Amino acid sequence: MSEAAAGAADHPLWGWAVESWTWGWANLDDPVGPLLGEHLLLSLASIAIGLAAAVPLGLLSVRYRFLYPPVLTGVNTLYAVPSLALFFLLLPYTAFSPWTAILPLALYTLAILVPNVVDGLTQVPDHVRQAAVAMGFGPLRRLLLVELPVALPVIIAGLRVASVATISMVSVASLVGLGGLGGLITDGFNRDFAAPVVVGIVLSVLLAFAADGGLVLLQRALTPWARRDARPGRRRRRAADRAARAATAPRPAGPQPEESP
Amino acid sequence: MNVVAAVAEWFAQPEHWQGSAGIPARLAEHVYYSGLALALSALLAVPLGLLTGHTGRGGFLAISLANFARALPTIGVLTLVVLGLGLGVVPVLVALVALAVPPILVNTYEGVRGVDPRLKDAAQGMGMRGGEVLWRVEVPLAMPLILLGLRTAAIQVVATATIAAYVGIGGLGRFIVDGQRQQLIEQILGGAVLVVALALAVTALFALLRRLVVARGLRVPPAGAAR
Amino acid sequence: MITFEGVTKQYPDGTVAVDDLHLTVPTGNTTVLVGSSGSGKTTALRMINRMVEPTGGRITIDGQDVRGQDPPVLRRSIGYVIQQAGLFPHRTVADNIATVPRLLGWSKSRARTRAHELLELVGLEPEHARRYPHQLSGGQQQRVGVARALAADPPVLLMDEPFSAVDPVVRAGLQDELLRLQAELHKTIVFVTHDIDEAVKLGDSIAVLRPGGRLAQVATPERLLAEPADDFVESFVGYDRGVRRLSFFPARHLRLRTDVIVTADQTAGEAGALARRLGEPWLLVVDAGRRPLGWVSADALDAAEGRRRLDSLELVGYGHVFTVSTDSLRAALDAAVLSPAGRAVGVADDGTVRGAVAQTELGAAIWSVGGDDEPPARDRAAAAGGAHE
Repeated sequence: MSEAAAGAADHPLWGWAVESWTWGWANLDDPVGPLLGEHLLLSLASIAIGLAAAVPLGLLSVRYRFLYPPVLTGVNTLYAVPSLALFFLLLPYTAFSPWTAILPLALYTLAILVPNVVDGLTQVPDHVRQAAVAMGFGPLRRLLLVELPVALPVIIAGLRVASVATISMVSVASLVGLGGLGGLITDGFNRDFAAPVVVGIVLSVLLAFAADGGLVLLQRALTPWARRDARPGRRRRRAADRAARAATAPRPAGPQPEESP
Repeated sequence: MNVVAAVAEWFAQPEHWQGSAGIPARLAEHVYYSGLALALSALLAVPLGLLTGHTGRGGFLAISLANFARALPTIGVLTLVVLGLGLGVVPVLVALVALAVPPILVNTYEGVRGVDPRLKDAAQGMGMRGGEVLWRVEVPLAMPLILLGLRTAAIQVVATATIAAYVGIGGLGRFIVDGQRQQLIEQILGGAVLVVALALAVTALFALLRRLVVARGLRVPPAGAAR
Repeated sequence: MITFEGVTKQYPDGTVAVDDLHLTVPTGNTTVLVGSSGSGKTTALRMINRMVEPTGGRITIDGQDVRGQDPPVLRRSIGYVIQQAGLFPHRTVADNIATVPRLLGWSKSRARTRAHELLELVGLEPEHARRYPHQLSGGQQQRVGVARALAADPPVLLMDEPFSAVDPVVRAGLQDELLRLQAELHKTIVFVTHDIDEAVKLGDSIAVLRPGGRLAQVATPERLLAEPADDFVESFVGYDRGVRRLSFFPARHLRLRTDVIVTADQTAGEAGALARRLGEPWLLVVDAGRRPLGWVSADALDAAEGRRRLDSLELVGYGHVFTVSTDSLRAALDAAVLSPAGRAVGVADDGTVRGAVAQTELGAAIWSVGGDDEPPARDRAAAAGGAHE
């Protein structure tokens, strides 16, 4: 037992862990704390802007179906642009302001979210829509009171994927001096010192998990009918979970255009 | 407009197409890293997804693993492995595999998991063994999702392999990083265009693959079928 | 022969799906397990091919305990048809049908030939072979499901609510098709349904299960309708069972009257005299070929001018007829009830009139089968004709 413990203590990984913990604790006030704050802020701003753009774009794509294929191609292409290139290309215009990091990341969020918004809205059962019309809901009320709430689980599923992706991608912006926790990573690389890198990774992962958990709670609060414990809602809840896990990136809704008969 | 012209000119210069730092060489490096990373990820994630999806056991663990990998900052993983093992292809591969495993694993798992239980029941009821149910029913039916996972992973890998340049390794990222250092906007743009073109080629490749490996009966979903 | 010997299935949470089931399914017969949801009928069926393992008791096929066989091997020797067919969407119709033969190691060409034979057997055109399941209608899919189950010519066929997802007209067609196939193939069929009419139509015997998986009664359809074992079975089979049971008695034993038949070229005077002599309120008018034209009432004959031919009078429609050789008492009674004259017209296979029977005489015939004497050998055609109008 003690021998095993001693063996573990000798292991280089264990050394790294101890060293990282010590370093992180010692440098909490500067730079770890502020960088964490910056990371959070950059992520939140990117996700919020991406969401704010994705919802209307998704709505338009549902309302005017002919828009969806070009929109989908657009966001898929956007998603393939390396973030590094986007950061560099924005530099001459936005300099070292936070926008250099936020704009590209918001675009990625947008790219992930648009298909989810469209999927969520199109899977509102037709009888639900008809019932809303029959009860005299106007288009706007129908959207706000019926269609968006029903689509919410799928939209939040996309938001979960987008937020985890964004939080892990913010670090890349450290290459233009703006990466939140990524700053710890570049710092460690430049000094050939692992502790800041480990601290940066661990905090970034924790932040991503926290955001994911927060969104799960938000969904439970916003869609009480879909809770796991509410028996009739089980199926939809499971479907939303599935969508959450399967929605890893922009994806075509249904059969791809090239395969359509 | 003159940016477009500048990029076009950058592409037009013959010296950019020659030597070990030319477009063909960088493209080959990029394809090599990306392809290798994708192949490794597929070898890791597809069997794991099939196994957990087929047995229904370990699914939670697999999904948690994927979620964890997805939360890892790629550049951090890359840096850490470089610090541990030194410069080389390995750190790039580790970082890209961590990036590619989640979409492949999750989509494979969900694809197999999502096969209509009635079809599995029919398959078993007719006397198929576990392996036969997997290969003759579950895999063909999950194929569209498996391919989707692979395609998503491939595009992410192609876009992210640019950061290999950050630790001094080749690939199309070099045009971007070096362009930044030399303040050559057209070169950054040129690199980005090449990466996007590669990603589009990957998309086209997967469309072709889909035609080859997805059973014809699945390509036109019946009206009202669950996706 | 399949036997259930004290078979019980209890789930880990304590739910009992099947409780001490004793049942014998004779070879070459169709046995229907019928019951509401939660009666364990599907569980009982699925224990035969070991899709569910019993927690107690024993199931044998031709004396062999099913647990003595490797489940996949066992299942390949048993046809299995499920609700909505369960066809593989990624395989063509022919490949679906060839599933078990291929599992058994048949060559591709032999399996394909067999698939085409089966398509024909279940009444589908050969060009369906290359289609995919989603290109077929629900009824066609179900036919393919049956063909797939029959592909390796298994002696036993398990059918789990196979026709419940199609509309009533298609379902009736599929049921007739199954009866036709069974008359040809003589499989040992275990059929699960919640529809008692389907059970009566298809079953050589019916096992009624009550909630909690206990067997309530096993009997031939006719006995089940005649003598439900208890209130549960009685309410399950429905309170119109008396009338429905008449479908098991052939109409050919009815005494048909021919003296009330007059031909169209007779005069109203002659016919009126006949009606008065017989004391009959209605006469049946037929044409020269003895096909029915309609009923004429004694009152109308009295009111008419004596020399007029009968075909110049206005006749009362004869409603629908029953075919004496193949229809059941139920069809005869139905024809009588629907006829304005209160009399049913019985015809021969060629449509010519054999005679007429009044409700009162039908009543006497029904009365005589109401007793405990077994009906004459079950008449498939009569039962089928009676159950789906």
